[in-house]
Amino acid sequence: MTSAVPGADLLPATRNALAVMLLAIADDEFVIGFSDSEWTGIAPILEEDVAISSLAQDEIGHAQAFYRLLAELVDDGRDADAIAFDRPPEGYYHARLLDHPRGDWAQTIARRYLFDTAEDVRMAALERSSYVPLAALVTKVRREERYHLMHMATWLERLALARGEPRERLIQAFERIGPDAGTVLAPLPSEMALVMSDIMAIDAAEMDARWRAGIAPTFERLRLPLPPPTRDPGDARTGHSDAFRWLHGEFTSVRQIDPAATW
Amino acid sequence: MTATRPKSEGTSEPESPGVLEPYEVFRQEKDGDPMRHGGSVLAPDPTLAVHYARELYGRRQESVRLWVVRRSDIHDLDDPDLLQPPLDRSFKKPGGYVMRDKLEAARKQAGTMKPKAKER
Repeated sequence: MTSAVPGADLLPATRNALAVMLLAIADDEFVIGFSDSEWTGIAPILEEDVAISSLAQDEIGHAQAFYRLLAELVDDGRDADAIAFDRPPEGYYHARLLDHPRGDWAQTIARRYLFDTAEDVRMAALERSSYVPLAALVTKVRREERYHLMHMATWLERLALARGEPRERLIQAFERIGPDAGTVLAPLPSEMALVMSDIMAIDAAEMDARWRAGIAPTFERLRLPLPPPTRDPGDARTGHSDAFRWLHGEFTSVRQIDPAATW
Repeated sequence: MTATRPKSEGTSEPESPGVLEPYEVFRQEKDGDPMRHGGSVLAPDPTLAVHYARELYGRRQESVRLWVVRRSDIHDLDDPDLLQPPLDRSFKKPGGYVMRDKLEAARKQAGTMKPKAKER
């Protein structure tokens, strides 16, 4: 029997660990969604403008769903919007990979490819989660992420195989953001509780290994620099950048004008 | 959203990657419907043309199947001399030939019912 209140049967330590993980996932989706949405109106061509904006919007949708799971679990009176918008920049818990600005188109593609492939490994580890609401959501999210992966792989290949500037910019982007790529899968402080309770199938070290093994053939085929071991993994989700503080000012601006507004 | 196919400048270089071409998009609204022309997208290759067709003609569940065809692969017959013959050919049109009674008699003989109108 499942209890009426989600997670009521969990030990307090497990519950807290789950809340931390849900926040990490939701903030990742939220920040990359807003960051990529900065391309709306200025993407390389009109068709790609629609495509990248639609992908960014999908991520905001995923963030909303994860914030809702978190709000249900924590049950402290905050709804998904309050969690998403009413924190100072230091209160966000996204991975350092997403602290980089969207940069040029090559950096956006490089980052998105790294993020989507890492995210896929994380979602796979949650698809049979013992926390049933999470497993159900992850199954849906993965159906949508499949297309994101296809689209990003297509762009990565085109930039990598193009001679001259596109390839050079792509390599420069991987060199800039590569050391932070693994922050998406860096261990969360209380991940042991999640693995022990079958909320997560494998730990962060195993996810990181699977992710690197998964992307290596593509990087080798396209002769791209593989992401090096994660820089400062213990500080993967704290101490955010000026680029993020700027983005935070943008994405909270409407909420700050009128927190009670309805749409 | 129009573009002309770039003219080859007489170089031996194959078509340069990243050059945008128009693709015509055909969409099926529901299973069993014919594929109908929906519009067009610009893309550098068929793979991205399919992705863009999905975004522009499928992301709101308005299609169950999409085709893209490179516009330059479509062969055109627009010769008015072949399509609008100068002499009277009205005898090739079925007008005036009433099928209804004959069809009904044939169905009665075969013991089959008139198929129901397709629900839309």
